[in-house]
Amino acid sequence: MTDLKRRRLRLVLTIAFALAIVMGPGPGIYFINPGSDETTPRLLLGMPIVYAWAAFWFGVQAIVVLLSYLFLWRDSKS
Amino acid sequence: MMLCLSLVAAATPSLTKVAGIVLVCYLLVLISLGVAGWIQSKATEEDFYLAGRGQGFIVTVMTVMATFFSSAAILGIPGNVYKDGVAFVLFAMNLPVAGVCIYLLGSRIRRVGRKRSYVTQGDMIADYYGDTPAIRIVVALIGFLYVLPYVVMQIKAGGYLAQGMFPDSERVQFLGFEIGMFQAGATALSLVTMIYVLVGGMRSVAWTDVLQGFLLIGGMILAAVATVVALGGLGGFFAKVSELPPEAMSLPGPSGTWTPWKLMTVCLFASVGSLVQPGQWIRLYAARDDKTLKRSSLVFAVVLPSCFLFGIMLVALAGRALYPPEMTAAGMVPHPHVGEFDQIVIVMIKEQLPALLGTLGVVLVAIILVAVLAASMSTADSNLHALSAVVTRDIYDRFVRPQSSQRERSHVSRLVIVAATLLALGLVSFGHENESFSPLKMIADLMFAAIAFSCQLLPVTIDMLFVRKGTKAGALAGMISGMVAVFLFTPFPGLLLGNSGFIDGLSSTTGTLKSLFDIGFCGVVVNTLVFVLVSRFTRPLAPKRVEAFADDLRSKSTEETIPKES
Repeated sequence: MTDLKRRRLRLVLTIAFALAIVMGPGPGIYFINPGSDETTPRLLLGMPIVYAWAAFWFGVQAIVVLLSYLFLWRDSKS
Repeated sequence: MMLCLSLVAAATPSLTKVAGIVLVCYLLVLISLGVAGWIQSKATEEDFYLAGRGQGFIVTVMTVMATFFSSAAILGIPGNVYKDGVAFVLFAMNLPVAGVCIYLLGSRIRRVGRKRSYVTQGDMIADYYGDTPAIRIVVALIGFLYVLPYVVMQIKAGGYLAQGMFPDSERVQFLGFEIGMFQAGATALSLVTMIYVLVGGMRSVAWTDVLQGFLLIGGMILAAVATVVALGGLGGFFAKVSELPPEAMSLPGPSGTWTPWKLMTVCLFASVGSLVQPGQWIRLYAARDDKTLKRSSLVFAVVLPSCFLFGIMLVALAGRALYPPEMTAAGMVPHPHVGEFDQIVIVMIKEQLPALLGTLGVVLVAIILVAVLAASMSTADSNLHALSAVVTRDIYDRFVRPQSSQRERSHVSRLVIVAATLLALGLVSFGHENESFSPLKMIADLMFAAIAFSCQLLPVTIDMLFVRKGTKAGALAGMISGMVAVFLFTPFPGLLLGNSGFIDGLSSTTGTLKSLFDIGFCGVVVNTLVFVLVSRFTRPLAPKRVEAFADDLRSKSTEETIPKES
C-alpha cells in the first residue's frame, strides 16, 4: 500500500472510530433514545433499541481496529 | 488453605462440596504456578518486576486482560447494569478505546522502556522531564492512589464471594478466632494472592493471570449462556428484558446518572486511565516486541467488549427483569432477594443454574464463582506487584537508601507487598464493620475514583510520546492540579473537614459536574490547562534531551538482544 493510501485509510478509520464513540455512548444516542414518557418499549428485532445501538457501534469499532491491525499498524521489525 | 477448608466445612452440603473442591483445586494450582515462577526466576530486579522483558503474545494479552478485568467487571459493572438498566450497557464501548491504546501508546512505551531500562512509570516520566525528585514522587503518589482503592475493591469482592458461596455459614474458626464469612473470604483472597506475588514476582503474576484470564472469560460467557437458556433462549430472554420499565430501557437510566456526555467521557477516559495505571504500564514494558502488543490490542478490542456486551451484562439485565430494584424514600434499593447491587450476578447464577441443570448446574455455579475470584485475584496481584515496584524503585531506592543493594531492594519490595495487603484488608474490614464509611460503599464508585487519579498521567504521557512541547514545571503543576481536582470529587474533603458552608458549596459544584462528565475527564481538563499554560511560560527542556528521547521512541531493532521466553 502506498503512503498516500495509508494516510487516507488512517484518516477514514480515525473518523469512523471517533464517530462510533460520539454516536454510540455519546450524544448520537439521542437519535434513538426513547423518551421518558413512552409507555411501549422501543425494540429492534426484539432487542431494546439502546442495546441494539450499542452492539452496532461496537461492531463499527471492532471493524476499524481489525482494518488498522491488517493495514496500518507496523511491527518494529518491519 | 486451612481457611479454605474451614470455609468448606462450614457451608451447605451440595454447593459447598463442589465449590470447595473447585476452590481448593484452583488455589493449589495458583500456588503451584507461584512456585514454578520462582523456580524459573533469576535473582535480579528486572526479572522480579518485568520477567526479563520477554513476555510473548498469549501471556501478554491474558495478563493485560486479567489486570483490566477486576471484580468490578463481574460484580461492579453488572451491579450498575442492574441498577441503571440498558443505559449502562453502553459502558462496554470503552474497551475498544483501551484496545487501540495498547498499540498506540504501548508500543512506544515498550520501545523506549527497553532502550533505557525503565521499570516504573516514574522512571520514564521523571527521566524525560529532567529526573526531578518532585515529578517522581508525584507520579508515585498517583500510582498509589490508583492501586490502593483497586486492591481494596478486589479484597471486598473476595468477601462478597465467600458470602455467596457459603450463604448458610455465618461464622468460621480461623487460627483460634471466630470471624464472619465476609471477613474469611476477604482474608483468604488477600493471603493467597500475597503469597504467590511474594514468591514469584512478575512471572508468577503473569502465569496465574493466564489461568485467571481464561477462567473469567469462560465464566462471563457461561453465566450469560446459562441465563439466556434458563429464560427460554434469546427470544424468551429479550421478551423478559422488554418488560423492563421505560426508564430502565433508556438514558439516563432510573438513577438519572448516565447522560450521553457523561457516558462518552467515561468511555474515553476510564479506558485510557486504566491503561496508564502502574500495573498495565509495567506490562507494556514486559512485552517481547511490538508484534506482541499489536496482536494483544486486536484481541483486547474485540474479545473483551464481547464478553461484556454479549456476556455478563445480559445476566445483569435479566436480573433486573426478575428482581427489580425498589424505590424507597431513601432512593433506589436492590430487591430484598438480591441484597446489594453488586451481588446480582452471584444471585442470578445461584438461582438459575442449579434449577436448570441440577448437579451440572451446581458445578457450573462453582466454576463461575471461582471465575469471580479469579477476576479479583488477577487484578489484586498485578496492583500489589506494581505498587512494590513504585515504592521500591521510585521512593526507597531514590530517596531513602540510594546505596541499597539489589538484595535489600528485593526484601523491601516484598515488605511493601505485605504492608499494602494488610492495609487494604484493614480498610475493607473497617468499611464492613462501619456501614457509614461511605468511601467503601460500592465497588464501581471506587473504581471510577481510582481511574480518575490514574488519568492524571495522561497529559504527560501524550506529551512525552507525541507532542514533546511540555516543560518540567508544566508537567509537575499539571499533575498536581489534576490530582487536587479529582480529590475534590471524592468523599474525602467532607470526611476530613466535616460539614461547613465551604464543603456544601464544593459538594454542590462537584455534584453538578459529576452528573455531566466523568471525574477523570474533569481532572484531565484542569491538568491539561495548567500543563499548557505553565509550559508556555517556563524554561523548555534541553532540545538534545528531547531529541534523544524521540530517537529512542523510534528505535526499531532492539528486540534481538532480548532473550525470548514465556
